[in-house]
Amino acid sequence: MVRPRYFFSETFTSLKRNFLMGFTAITTVAITLFIVGFFAILVFDIQGIINSIKGQVELAVYLEDNISTELKEYIEEEIKSWEETDELKFISKEQALERFKEQNQGSDILKEIQGNPLPASFEITLKDPEKVDQVALRFVDKDGNYIEGVDDVIYGRNYVRRLFSITAIVGTIAILIIIVLLLATIVLIFNTIRLSIYARRKEIEVMKLVGATNWFVRIPFLFEGFFEGFTGSILSVILLYLLSSLLLVKGESVILETMRVKELAILGSGNMIFYIYGGIVILGGFIGLLSSAIALRRYVKV
Amino acid sequence: MDMIEFKNVSKVYDDDTAALKDIDLTIKKGEFLFLVGPSGSGKSTFIKLLIKEIKETKGSIFIAGRNICKLKSSRIPQLRRNIGCVFQDFKLLPNKTVFENVAFALEVIGRPGYEIKLQVPQVLKLVGLHNKDQSYPHQLSGGEQQRVSIARAFVNRPPILLADEPTGNLDPATSDGIMKILSRINLIGTTVVMATHDRNIVNSMRRRVVELEEGELIRDQKRGVYGD
Repeated sequence: MVRPRYFFSETFTSLKRNFLMGFTAITTVAITLFIVGFFAILVFDIQGIINSIKGQVELAVYLEDNISTELKEYIEEEIKSWEETDELKFISKEQALERFKEQNQGSDILKEIQGNPLPASFEITLKDPEKVDQVALRFVDKDGNYIEGVDDVIYGRNYVRRLFSITAIVGTIAILIIIVLLLATIVLIFNTIRLSIYARRKEIEVMKLVGATNWFVRIPFLFEGFFEGFTGSILSVILLYLLSSLLLVKGESVILETMRVKELAILGSGNMIFYIYGGIVILGGFIGLLSSAIALRRYVKV
Repeated sequence: MDMIEFKNVSKVYDDDTAALKDIDLTIKKGEFLFLVGPSGSGKSTFIKLLIKEIKETKGSIFIAGRNICKLKSSRIPQLRRNIGCVFQDFKLLPNKTVFENVAFALEVIGRPGYEIKLQVPQVLKLVGLHNKDQSYPHQLSGGEQQRVSIARAFVNRPPILLADEPTGNLDPATSDGIMKILSRINLIGTTVVMATHDRNIVNSMRRRVVELEEGELIRDQKRGVYGD
């Protein structure tokens, strides 16, 4: 009962007959899935960059110049005892100056400096960067002043918040665009299959008349839809691959270093890109099958 | 043995027109039956009910003793493989040759290639078209096209052959040729039901005649004539 040769030849005859329509459907799938893939990559990479930035969020607690050793040690012990603390580093006045000089090498500003105006500080990295507000508040007493020995507490508060909201916005916009494009693709493949069914209505009539089963009538159309979705998705993967190759002109490691991330899907690094490619191909085939199944339900009845 | 049996069958279409009213009819195996009556009398409805293209409103239809009204829709293809159908408009596929048109009927029910190569020439010989198997339908006359369609309906050797106005588009001489083929098929033991309003054919054949008028069975006559 299984006649693969029959189904293949039927599928390709039909594709030839509706070449223009099939071509349009394949192109639409390719463009849609390219954009879907592009957003998936974008969201993944932004997420990665934000995670790496989150890991870099730290709290700088500047100490008063005349702080006593006991008080300094007391504050140090206190910070170490908090469960939110991941790493704690003490930067003495001398180390701070050293660092400042390094960062501003060759600049005129160094000539202006007399003595050491820089404060000593504790640099705290947190296990959970989003708790940075809570931790910062512990250096403030109930009147809103800094506790004894602490001059200032600095952390990139608004910066972090803005980053969190950017991911959310990009994600939402991406999902909306993807939904609209996927719907457009489904409608297009649906129409292609509908035209194929129309072009072959006489054959379908005869097939039913002589007792072909429903599946026998439907399979070539399902193949056709699947083929259109699948081919389109392969094209979109090729486009995405070309995109990452184009972006890779400057060298991957330099970019990763600058961004302080392990992988960037958009550059084709890491494993994620292969999951995205695979997902696109599966999605393409599935959309093709789904749209032709809907068309068949409507236009081919016993 | 009863091949086809209608028990109180009525069909009312969605627009409330009654196409068949309370039909009781039994057709024996190997019988040749003319279904006559003017257009709109219910002849086509009768045939469509048999291949379950439409569903009866009331009553039961038995084929070879089985109630086809209770058939699951997934079993309909099986039913249709046992009933050959011929129509006034032939329903041939224009882009396929004579051979391919007939072979198509076997292909789509999943018959193997060797069987197709064996059966198709045989049935084309039966209808007298074995030397035109590579022609396309548009290269054939109306009568030849109808013979191809009979070949396609019969290639699977169904026990029942339904013909809905098979000579409706043909001149009398060509019609005679078609009737000879249908008689031959009937002689092999096939039950043939032919809907027609061709007076000459019915009168010359002298077979059982069932007359419908506005959906009612008004005459059932052995060795009958068309009537007046």
